[in-house]
Amino acid sequence: MSTSDNKRSIIVGIFVFLAIVILIAGIFTLGGQQKRFIESIAVRAVFNDVAGLKTGNNVWFSGVKIGTIKNIRLLGDSQVEITMNIEERVQEYIRKDAVARISSESFIGNKNIVIDGGSQKAAPVEDGDIIKSVSPLNTDDMMETLQRNNKNLAAITDDFKVLSAKVVQGEGTVGAILTDSMLANNFRAMVANLQQASQNTVRASNALTNFTSKLNTEGALANELLTDTTVYSELRTSMAQLKQATTSAAELTNNLNATSAKLNNNNNAVGVLLADEEFARQLKGTMQNLETSTQKFDQNMEALQSNFLLRGYFKKQEKEETKKQEQLKSQPQQPDTTKQQ
Amino acid sequence: MDLSNKNTESTRSRRRYVVSKRLDRIFLELGDVYAFIARFFKELWFPPYELKEIINQCYEIGVRSLPLISLTGFIIGIVFTNQSRPSLADFGAAALLPALISVAIIRAIGPLVTALIAAGRVASGIGAELGSMRVTEQIDAMEVSATNPYKFLVVSRVLASTLMIPALTMYTTLVSLLGGYLNIRQNEQTSLTTFFYQVFEAITFLDLAASSVKSVIFGFTIGMVGCYKGYNSSKGTEGVGKAANSSVVTAMFLIFIEELLIMQVINALRSF
Repeated sequence: MSTSDNKRSIIVGIFVFLAIVILIAGIFTLGGQQKRFIESIAVRAVFNDVAGLKTGNNVWFSGVKIGTIKNIRLLGDSQVEITMNIEERVQEYIRKDAVARISSESFIGNKNIVIDGGSQKAAPVEDGDIIKSVSPLNTDDMMETLQRNNKNLAAITDDFKVLSAKVVQGEGTVGAILTDSMLANNFRAMVANLQQASQNTVRASNALTNFTSKLNTEGALANELLTDTTVYSELRTSMAQLKQATTSAAELTNNLNATSAKLNNNNNAVGVLLADEEFARQLKGTMQNLETSTQKFDQNMEALQSNFLLRGYFKKQEKEETKKQEQLKSQPQQPDTTKQQ
Repeated sequence: MDLSNKNTESTRSRRRYVVSKRLDRIFLELGDVYAFIARFFKELWFPPYELKEIINQCYEIGVRSLPLISLTGFIIGIVFTNQSRPSLADFGAAALLPALISVAIIRAIGPLVTALIAAGRVASGIGAELGSMRVTEQIDAMEVSATNPYKFLVVSRVLASTLMIPALTMYTTLVSLLGGYLNIRQNEQTSLTTFFYQVFEAITFLDLAASSVKSVIFGFTIGMVGCYKGYNSSKGTEGVGKAANSSVVTAMFLIFIEELLIMQVINALRSF
């Protein structure tokens, strides 16, 4: 075989090889996208109407494509059973009480199945399970609702047309507002007042801003109270002590009240002393008698000093007194050190 | 008496044809075609396999056609995308353009354009080559020299065409999609990943299989028509031209007929 033949054979080989690579890449991309080469489980759902769903359409769960429609078959009583191929790796997230509904990829796009919900209490779905389904939103129903809305809108615009005609003619409150010049003037004044009020509000808010900025000044009492945790704890302690002092003062007051109440009674010594008038009279008489007795005792004592039996004792005392005074006079006077200092 | 003799002669001459001269000729030619095709399947399995000639023909049909077919496919991808945009944009669905061109190119345009371009280039080439060999009695010489001309000339070319047209279809499809992507990228700023995601989202395995099977049938048709027309060309230089021209026209016509029939079969399969 010549070199030229070899070259041709190699080129043809590369050409065919690349074509096969393109085909295989296409098959694998398509298979990967349609989840054909992934382990999957079959889950079924029964609908009354599948709205044009076809085999191969997608199955979505929480916005993620998790499988495709494997089979569609009619059941008795005009129902349709859908078999979905769902990736095995998402099996644990889909619960037995999940609900399948038919949706659309876009307004004019393909139909698909969307699986919603499922509670954590329910077990994960298994191969061959039938999950609940809800009927799809029918386009005819949508159009019917839209038609009803259109009719309502037409009725509303008719009413509004009558209303606006009355307003233009100056009928009713709104018409009067729009046509009466006096009302307009009042409204203008009201707006001016509102403007004034808003200016006042602005001033008040400025003042409030200043005040709050002062409150926020570092070192100020309010700021300290709001920011310093030590002050707060001390204040709390002081308040506790004050509360205790108040409690003590209240107890003291109660005691004083009780004491004063007792003082007002005659059934105790101090109460009798303070409140009993008869006792006061008796005490006064006793004191007078005591004064009289004292005077008489003085006279008796003077008489005793003159008595010969006791005269010697008193003279001895007089002499000792005299002697002490003389000794005091004979001692030299000491200088006053405290003054000098 | 003379008149009666003339009538008898004309009746006899009419009876030489089963239906009519033209229809008989058509059916005779159909019979020749069936025999020609049957001979291909008969010769295919027995040695010698003429591998060298097959590779040569693969090179001529496949590799040499690649630049022309790739360029055509690329331009068709751009033009088709650009012309489809306004229709989809009217519905506000310009985002579905990748899906549309995917379906159109993979299902139909890829195999069909490849086959038509190959019919123009390959079928005419084979027809002219074999026709000139017939005219210059090279085929007769091969028969005399104990070489099987059918095996060497027809089987190798039909086999090469049947193998190379699917390969060319793969290239054309890819290049057409890239042409479409360039146009979409320029107008919708769609990324390559998103584009190919949407392309494969719109098709199924049945589409890929149908495209491949279709291109195999088209390849066989192109090779077989070219070989038949060239192998059975009439004597003279005029016969070469006729063989080349007839190869292209017949091949293209058959390709469209086959496209129509295959489409019906695929749609029937799709509904299962």
